[in-house]
Amino acid sequence: MKLRRAPHRNEQETIVALIDVVLFLLIFFMLIGRMDATAPFMVFPSTARTGQDLPAGGATVAIAADGRMALNGHEIGPAALEDALAEAVRRNPELVVRINAHRDAELRHTLALTGRLDEMGVKDIVLIVTPKEP
Amino acid sequence: MELRRRSQERRLISLVPMIDVMLILLVFFMVTSSYLDLDMVPMLERQDETATAPSVGGGDGGGPLFVRIGADGTLRVGARSLDRAGFGALLAERLLRDPGLQVLILPSGHAPTQALVSVMDLATGVGVQRLRIVRLQGAP
Repeated sequence: MKLRRAPHRNEQETIVALIDVVLFLLIFFMLIGRMDATAPFMVFPSTARTGQDLPAGGATVAIAADGRMALNGHEIGPAALEDALAEAVRRNPELVVRINAHRDAELRHTLALTGRLDEMGVKDIVLIVTPKEP
Repeated sequence: MELRRRSQERRLISLVPMIDVMLILLVFFMVTSSYLDLDMVPMLERQDETATAPSVGGGDGGGPLFVRIGADGTLRVGARSLDRAGFGALLAERLLRDPGLQVLILPSGHAPTQALVSVMDLATGVGVQRLRIVRLQGAP
């Protein structure tokens, strides 16, 4: 029996297939991945069954279990946080503020922040939760 | 004399740098992306502002239902301490009588955020449309 050698493919052709796969993966990760500002500390949000879709954009304030805070991924003190948020609200009155509080964070931190934001005139404040299966 | 033009070599653009860049971007997106499925519960919506300030009612009568959340997450309606199931049942019963029931939540400052979210979740789940969080402020 005579075995035929497989037709020789040139190098260029092989690289094109590789590029296709890498591009596909790149686009996949760009679309699927959430590029939210992460907190510099561990934050496990509360769980809720009745959560709604999280709006995109806005400012994200993270609150750690021990009360530390971060704005858009950078740890920040309470006074500096207020200043930064007041400035952000002044520039964009329609700013949505997303509070990503650890489930064990005491409410004196979360609600005090909500109250200050309310006084600043923030129109939309949402608390980030993770969905819980019913 | 005859001058011959040199045959032009077909130049190929090297694809290797492009692949390098794409791989770096790919690794970047793979490492920095988070795949948490996140939702939100609204904490403040301006349209609520037009609502009149409610008078605080007791537990079982008419008017709004006032629920307190203790520092350990326990729920109290009036003088009664309730578990989540009991609170859910009370809400359902009150909603039958008053579909526009307003629920006022007064959480302790030391209660965990999850306790508040659980109460709001429970109330929203049984159909409460009007939820308010009451926060006590210290005198200036």
